[in-house]
This record gives sequence, C-alpha cells and structure tokens, in this order.
Amino acid sequence: MTEIAVLQADEQAPLEGVIKGEVLRMYQEVAEHPESEFHFYHGRQAAEMFGYEREWLDRAPPGAVASFAGVGNPHLRSRLQPGETVLDLGSGAGLDSIVAAWQVGPAGRVIGVDLNPTMCLKAQAHAAASGVGLECQEGRMEDIPLPDASADVVISNGVINLSFRKRRVVREVFRVLKAGGRISISDIVSAKQLSQSIVNDAKLWAS
Amino acid sequence: MFALLEDEGFKRVRSAVVPGFAFRKDSTRDAAEAYGVKAVLFTAQKPGA
Repeated sequence: MTEIAVLQADEQAPLEGVIKGEVLRMYQEVAEHPESEFHFYHGRQAAEMFGYEREWLDRAPPGAVASFAGVGNPHLRSRLQPGETVLDLGSGAGLDSIVAAWQVGPAGRVIGVDLNPTMCLKAQAHAAASGVGLECQEGRMEDIPLPDASADVVISNGVINLSFRKRRVVREVFRVLKAGGRISISDIVSAKQLSQSIVNDAKLWAS
Repeated sequence: MFALLEDEGFKRVRSAVVPGFAFRKDSTRDAAEAYGVKAVLFTAQKPGA
C-alpha cells in the first residue's frame, strides 16, 4: 500500500523479511495453483476485467494467463514502439512481458525482473512458447539489476505496493530509464494511512 | 505514489483509477474501502532527450 504506518528502523527490518517471504510464497502459489482462491482476482477473469485484449489472452500460453495477478493494464498507456527496450518490474509468470514483446517486435527487447528465480524460469518458458524472447533476471525492485539508462519504458503491475521502500523503488526506476523514457505502472494506493495491525500482517500486505 | 514520482524527478505524471478493480473476498474488500484503497495506472516521463 502506498501510505504506511511509521515504523522504527529496528522494527521494520525483520518485518520486511517476513513480508518478502510471504510475497514469494503468495505469488508462487498463484503460479503453481492458479485454480486456488486468493484475496484478489487473478487469471483470465482479472485480465479481462482490466481490458486486456481477448486476442492477447487467446494467443498467450494458458499458464501465463492463468497466473496473471496484476491490478490493472499498463499496456493501455505504455505506447510501446517497435525496437524499444522494456523493463517489466515484477514480471511474475510473464503475461505482461509477452504482451510487451509482441509490441516492441523482434528489434525490441523485454527484460523481466522478479524476486523469485522460479518465476523467472516460468516467465521465460511462457515467452518461448509464445515465440518471443524474454530476458528475466532475479532481483529486487529496490536494487534493479540493470545499468543506468538502459530502458526506454518501465512497466509494472501490482508490484511496487509490496515494497516497504517505495521511494527507493521509484529512484531505481528513474535510474534505469533512458532520458525521455516512460513508465506505465498499475498499482495499489490507499488514501488513508494503514493501521499498524495491517502493516504487521504479512499475508494482507502480500495480497 | 504520485508525489513520489514527482519528488524523484519524473515529469508529466498522470494517474487514472483502474475501473473494475476490487478485492475478491468480502472481508478484504470492506477493509480496502475503509482505507480508500484503489488501483491506479500511473504514467510519467523521465526528463531529457
């Protein structure tokens, strides 16, 4: 969530570790057992709700669609052009990366970054099944494993809200973008400061 | 988030609420409504070029 209750540094560090573990567990569960029920809508139902084109969802590997866990549709405003380099921050099972790869074409490049190396492997397999290339790197959004000025566009879908250090994430996104580069990011925000009980609830945070 | 993007140097920051976003479970949906939780699509540009 965007606004969080204020924690002291010595309180935040262990909680951040717990939340990281819960985030890894939750999204791996979505990828491995998409038939399960979660706090959020996912899969084709969610993608259609957010305006993903049916042609994309029919064309993408079923596993990538079934494990979709975004909160919106960054492609609505990304204006991707052939030949561009796109970073998909928190690429998950790969649906957004695949859609981006179709738009930038063979002259373009899509790089996924995900906290979970298993998800990277899954996303790359889904991309290969779609006939597109995807470079996926295990990494944290607070320390994006890319050089300065390496991406034309950063897309992301429901991921930055999971970080305890959102300013650091935004700074990293700025760093890896080329001058004139763009972002199209769907995410969750809250109008009010969350209660301490919510902040301390790793399962709720990961949702 | 909007302010963070501006603070860190992004220009042309725009936001639009994602229509249709909701949590699936009633308990989570009720808590989210109480805190004004929304899904938002942000766009922005890094200066230069």
